[in-house]
Parts: sequence; structure tokens; C-alpha cells
Amino acid sequence: MSEGAINRTIETDVLVIGGGGGGLRAAVAAHDAGARVLVLSKGIVGKSGLTQTAVTGFQVAFGYADPRDNPEVHYGDTIRGGYGLADPALARIFCDEAIAAVEDIESFGARFDREADGKLTQRKLDSSQTYPRSIKKGDSLGTPIMQALRREMNKRDVPRLHEMLVTRLLKDGDKVCGAIALDFQKGEIVEIRAGAIIMATGGAGELFPVHSNTPDSTGDGYALALNAGADLVDIEFLLMLGHAVLHPATVRGVLFTFQYLLTKGAKPLFNSEGESFLSNYDPEGNDNPARHIYARAVYGEVREGRGSPHGGAFFDPGSVSHETLMESLPSQTKYLEKFGVDMTQPIEVGAAAHYVCGGIKINTQSQSTVPGLFAVGECSGGPHGAGRIGGNSLTEILVFGKRAGAEAAAFANAQGAGTPNSDEVLAEASRVTSYLSRKRTGPRPNEIKTRLQKLMNDYVGVVRNNEGLRNTIAEFERMEREDLPAMSMAEDNRVGNYDWIEALEVSAMIRFARAMAGAALLRTESRGAHYREDYPELDDENWLQNIVIRHTGNDDALAFETRACTPGPEYTAALAEAS
Amino acid sequence: MEKLNITLYRFDPSCDAEPRLQSYDIESDGPLSVLQAIRHVYHKVDGTLSFRNSDCRRGVCGICSMMINGRRQLTCMCLATDGMTVEPPSNRTIVKDLVFETD
Repeated sequence: MSEGAINRTIETDVLVIGGGGGGLRAAVAAHDAGARVLVLSKGIVGKSGLTQTAVTGFQVAFGYADPRDNPEVHYGDTIRGGYGLADPALARIFCDEAIAAVEDIESFGARFDREADGKLTQRKLDSSQTYPRSIKKGDSLGTPIMQALRREMNKRDVPRLHEMLVTRLLKDGDKVCGAIALDFQKGEIVEIRAGAIIMATGGAGELFPVHSNTPDSTGDGYALALNAGADLVDIEFLLMLGHAVLHPATVRGVLFTFQYLLTKGAKPLFNSEGESFLSNYDPEGNDNPARHIYARAVYGEVREGRGSPHGGAFFDPGSVSHETLMESLPSQTKYLEKFGVDMTQPIEVGAAAHYVCGGIKINTQSQSTVPGLFAVGECSGGPHGAGRIGGNSLTEILVFGKRAGAEAAAFANAQGAGTPNSDEVLAEASRVTSYLSRKRTGPRPNEIKTRLQKLMNDYVGVVRNNEGLRNTIAEFERMEREDLPAMSMAEDNRVGNYDWIEALEVSAMIRFARAMAGAALLRTESRGAHYREDYPELDDENWLQNIVIRHTGNDDALAFETRACTPGPEYTAALAEAS
Repeated sequence: MEKLNITLYRFDPSCDAEPRLQSYDIESDGPLSVLQAIRHVYHKVDGTLSFRNSDCRRGVCGICSMMINGRRQLTCMCLATDGMTVEPPSNRTIVKDLVFETD
């Protein structure tokens, strides 16, 4: 195979990048709207991605458990949980269309837990929900959703390609017209021509050493969209949770969702001195605070020298009985016990990266600021603002997946296929293949990734400050300038070369990390998932604004812009109540 | 510090006449799952090993299923043990090493 050449070309109307729940929902919708669809995943379409690992619930305001609940109340909760920065139009669609989206997935055969009267069971996960609203299926909610979507994909015989890493989006003028991908199994460079593209690439947990995501959550979609000229929004809001298991290493990062099962008055965490501490960190003094407070509280105890041996705190097994765990979290409990965790003894828990609240800025059509480029799920930005409340993520992929699929099909139908610039295609093929001919003397991709993860953990994680962020951004710039050009792989084999995949991923990770750190530096306040120890207060006077990021003229420079956000009466009412 | 010797299946159909088994010594701070042990080899011992990295890590997706000492199991759900052998399922076409063609 010659270097720098395209090995094969594929044509489709709608290209879906990502084979998790959002990608499959979008693919089914685009197919039903009459488009030819192709789904690519860098893993296995329908089996990779985070959706299948979902545990607790998704929010849909049927009002079965409490008749006072309805989409309007859900909307208010979403705006408050986003600390005023969610895009009101997107949050409105999201809450209004949630019920229909669940009816759709049920019509695809997904089954959820029901009460004796036949109505769906709804529970309250935490204080972010005004009324019990979360639908569940045992403690494995992702499984029925993915099974149903896989079945619909098969029924429609939607074409899919596994283990294809997209490395660049292609454009014809202003709009997207295709992509370049590396085929891991064949070692080939593939050009895909498409009338519209849907990004469903998930999040970026792998930017951190401990996270709840799948190991391939490297944030490729954000970097691809930036490169294509799309805006990102709200990406400084990186939700860190504080209840991931830290020890043993076999289960590090797995979420232990005990906080939904606590008895009244329980104090679930204690420090190395045996003291409970969560209420000290919650403005409202709760012993079971909002989930982003958990991470901050554990971080604070560790910094004060009261942490557990592996940098966390201890879960008190007395706060939830083993019977309750086996009844409500059987999969989680059995999994942890299999790896030697004694659930009747204190368990070390601590911070793990969980969710990027922002992402590729979308409009009500689920379209980015680049015509023809759509986004759905965690990689998109707008519906959540500064914090995503528990249970709003699965609902989001179903609502916006359906929208993105239909809109992308309509766009492709109306606009037809574009023609990529052949110089751009060849330049990308040659960039990708250039890794093969590098010397074997530089750092391997994983060494650079480990460096990046440590910086993210220390300076862009739970607690941030001016100096740390500035130094980290300078270090990222140095890494882009010096480490990436020197990076080398263990071999030059084309087939099944994971170093090659990781080299391309790491380049994208540093770009996205730099964007996230840049936005965190700019936001001189604390809000939702973003906490600045040098600006610990919420500052509505100056910061009721979204930060929008895009690439400027050349590929390397990022421009940050602030835009006023008008959250509406739901947010101001919540503020008045809080004060 | 834990020390393990594990044996992994190696085969590059483009240049090898026959598959072979290669043994590796690994050291870690504590117990590892089989999946983590494979990654450990790739990161720390032999970067030419081909493997998959798009699995769920918690026994849901099934992508990491391999033959462990001759028995098909999820590598994310089993502890790595000294002397173990890990091979791809015998009925699959091998892409390279632990990567085999999917359905």
C-alpha cells in the first residue's frame, strides 16, 4: 500500500460517527426518513459506547408517581440543574419530547420496570428532581435500550463498519461533505462521502486517570468538530463525581451509586479520622448533597490530609444494608464482590470524571454551526448548561437522536453530496500514514496520554485555579509543539496497530484538553460542575454567559467568546428561593 | 508488588506461517483483571501486541471475550493468574494477535 493514498471510498447520504445509543437512535431515524445511512464506530457498532453501562435511570415526566409532575416541572429542574446556562430552547424540546421518545423506544421492544397497576415505575434519584421521575430497569437500564436499538438496526439492515477511527471531517465550502477514517482491522485509509454527518462520539473521560467512561472515550468528536470550524459551548463544565470505587485497581472508576439508596439521616462517607464531612461542603448542609459536591468534598478532605490510602474517602457500609444493595444494585454489588470488595466493610471511593456537560453547540435541529454537521448525546452542547442532572443523559440521546436523524436525512436530501477538496483529502491521508514512517525513538502515545491525564487531574479536574490552569495550558502547547512531533509507535505494521489509533487519539485529546482548560481559565467564578478555588462564588452579574470556542484561521489557535444567556423565570425563581 | 507470568496468543497472518504463544513477565501494584493484564503487556512490555480497547470494562458488552486457559470468558470479569494463557476464540478469523473478525 502506498503511503498517503486513499485505499477505498464509500458513499452514503448520512454518515453517523459513533455506535452507542445516540448514534443508533439517529441512524434508525435517518433511515426511516428515507436516507441511505452508514454507521461508523471506532469500536463495535451497537456494543461499544457508554449507553449500555447506564445504571440508574432516565428522567421522563409522565407524572405517574406524582401527578404534579409534568414536562414543565422537568424543564424547571433542567434549567436549575444547569445553573441558568442551558439553552432554553433546547431544554424545552428535550423535556417536551421526552415522553414520545420513551414511547418510541418501548415500541422498539425495550421494557422497563412497572408498578402493579401497569404504569412505569418512577423514582426520585436526588434533590435535583422535584418529583419522582426516573424510569429504571433493575440496575441495568442501558441494556434494554441498546438491545432494542440493535434490533431496529438489524431489521432495517442499516450498514455499519466497526473499528473505524475518523481522523478528519471534510468540507465543500461551508458545509461538511465527508470524512477520512482509519480502518483498524485492515490498516486502510478510507474516504467517506456523505451529504450530512451526525456526531455521536460520546465524551472524554479518558482525559483523566480515573473515570466512569469506557476506555475509548477520548473526545475525538470535539476535536473533529473544532477542526471543521464548528463551535463548542460550555465545555468547562466537566462533571466529576465523588462516588467511584478507588480500590482495588481492578474496579477503579466504577461508580457505586449508593447515594440513591440512603436511609434518612445517613452520613454515607467518612474520612481517615472517622468523621463524616459531606455536609461541611454543601451550601445547604446536606449529608447527601448534589452529586458534584461529593467530588469537591472528598478532594477537600484529601488535601487536608484526611484522605483514604488511595486518595479518597470511605463509604460507610452502615448507611445502606447489604440486603438493600443486593435488591437494588445487584449487578454493581456482584461485580464489586467478584473482585474482592467486601461490601460490608468500608469501601474507598473518590473522584472520577463522568460527563462533559457541554460540547458541539447545536441548534433545535441538532445541527452544529457548520451546515450539514449534526451532533447528539454527550458530544453535543446546549441542553445541559453548567451541570447535567442525573437521569437526563439517556433521555437526551433518545430525543435528540431522533431529531438529528430526521434533520440530517432532510439536509442530505435537499443539498445532495458535496465534493471534497482533493488536496485536503491527500494531506490528511498523508498525515495519518506519516506516523508509520517515524523513528522508533520518541515517546509512545500512551506515555504522552499519561502525562496529559496527570495534568488534567491535578489542574483541570475537581478544583481549578488561575495559576494551575495557565501553567497547564502552556504545557499543553509545549506538548503539541514538542511531544506530538516526536511521538513514535512500537511498530510500523498497518493491521491492528493500536499504537497508531492511540497516536491519533492523543493528538485530538491534547487539542480538546487545551480548549477545556482555556474555558475554565476564562470563567472567573464557580458554577455547577466548574469550581475555581480563587473564585469560589457564583457570579450572576458577570457570568450568566456561555463560553463559545472555535478554531481561528489556522488549525492551532482557539478563539474564546462569551455570550449572554437568558435563562428565564425558572432560574430567577430558584435564585430568589435560595437566597 | 505482584509478579505474574502470562502467555498470550500471537499471530500475524500477513507474515507468520503459524500462530505462536508468547510468555510475558509483568509486575503490578496489585491484582489485575485479565483485560488489564493484556493492556499492561501492551503498554509496558510489548507494544507490538494487537488487542481491542473499545470494551465496557464491566461485563456488559462481551467484546473482550477470549479463551482463558481454554475456557471462553470475559477478560474484564476474571482475575489474571500466574501461568494463565489467553487466546482468541478458536472459531474466529484472526486479524492479528488478540484481534479477530467480528460478526
